[in-house]
Amino acid sequence: MEEGKADGLLAHLEMLEMRAHEAAVKKEEMQRQEEKLARLKARVQELRLQRDELRAKVDLQQKGQLGKEGVVSDPAQPNAQAVLEWKIKSLKAMLQIFYLTGISSKLTKRGVCFSISTAYEGTYLDSYHLDLLTQPEVRIQRHSVPIFIPLEQIAKKYLQTDIRRFMSVLSDHLNAYVGRRYQADQLQEHFSDQIEGALQRNSLCNLLVFNYNVSSQSKTFLFNARLLYGDLCSILPTEVVISCTPDAPASLAEMAGAHSDLFRHVALHKAFRSFRSAKESVSGAP
Amino acid sequence: MDNSILHVYEDEIQSLEEEIKLLAEKYEESQQESTFFSDEEILMSIKSFQREFQGESKGHECLSDLKVQLESLQRDLSFLMKFTGIQFTSHSKKTVEKTRNRTVQKHRLSGNCHSLSFQLEFHLLEMQNKENVTAVITDLSIVMESGEDSDVSKFVSR
Repeated sequence: MEEGKADGLLAHLEMLEMRAHEAAVKKEEMQRQEEKLARLKARVQELRLQRDELRAKVDLQQKGQLGKEGVVSDPAQPNAQAVLEWKIKSLKAMLQIFYLTGISSKLTKRGVCFSISTAYEGTYLDSYHLDLLTQPEVRIQRHSVPIFIPLEQIAKKYLQTDIRRFMSVLSDHLNAYVGRRYQADQLQEHFSDQIEGALQRNSLCNLLVFNYNVSSQSKTFLFNARLLYGDLCSILPTEVVISCTPDAPASLAEMAGAHSDLFRHVALHKAFRSFRSAKESVSGAP
Repeated sequence: MDNSILHVYEDEIQSLEEEIKLLAEKYEESQQESTFFSDEEILMSIKSFQREFQGESKGHECLSDLKVQLESLQRDLSFLMKFTGIQFTSHSKKTVEKTRNRTVQKHRLSGNCHSLSFQLEFHLLEMQNKENVTAVITDLSIVMESGEDSDVSKFVSR
């Protein structure tokens, strides 16, 4: 009888102990949460103050400049360090926008590092770099020009004699490559509904082969287009062959001829855009 | 303890930090763009800096760092302008729009391209996506004294 009681008592004590422990843990946890909350609250106040100060600063700045066009030198004698830092920032900004002209450079210990930036109609695409050594003669130490661009050929022809011409010719090649690639990408991305199957292209993007849908008298036919860009500095093909399936009506030959002509004069994605809008205007769709 | 209150505070902290960052950038940019120091003033600053920190090693280090940086940038710019034939005589920019992934800046550039002087104004849009930054130029306006040269006028209108 006594043993049973002792057991029961022990068990009860254990349970009380456990409860007390849980309560302590909970209390600790709550304290931690409260501290965290207080910290966050303080941080929010701190940041709000900082933000308000900055806002006032910027407003004052804007008001000071209203109606004033042009340059202002700080009337109070500016700190010499601030002056130098201003000039450094200004020079950096100017160097930075040079890439928009298509060419940028940085002098290195043993020569120059050029960056050629490419663009298609205002959209900047890839940049390529050339690390040139200038002593004892001009040569390319390192570059990021893709292997299918005839860099060695161009270098052989111009690098020693006319470096500006070298950069210009290389830039033409790179821009044209990037422009051709852009057109093919646009075609795949935005006109996949008109293209049947995969668009085939080589790395230089100067050979494109694809099939596309044309409709004539509410029937759809398949055209196969083969575009060869013989001039590596051009974004337009020199040769276009458009063929239709043998069962196609004769009237389609005229359309094929018109398309062939179009592709030779208009960028590929623009040509397809014109197909789409022509189709929409015919069917009356918006 | 209500977790949602914590989240509200944390969100506000994040948005305040972003706002502060944007305001600080705006202030810096405005300061930079509204200031101008001539080359003489730059030279004078270098001289006065040298006098101030004559012998004091810490200040001397700072000055020589700035001087080295300045000279290196000037050399780079001078080489580039000579190589391309494009001389920029003035440049100003203003951030017109800035969100997390998108920045639009309005640039004003004037200079000479060989013997032709020009003034450009354009919007530069830079977008940050996963791997890289894409840049697009819009609203380009070119002012050039083309006068008699019809080729140049044609180029400008294109």
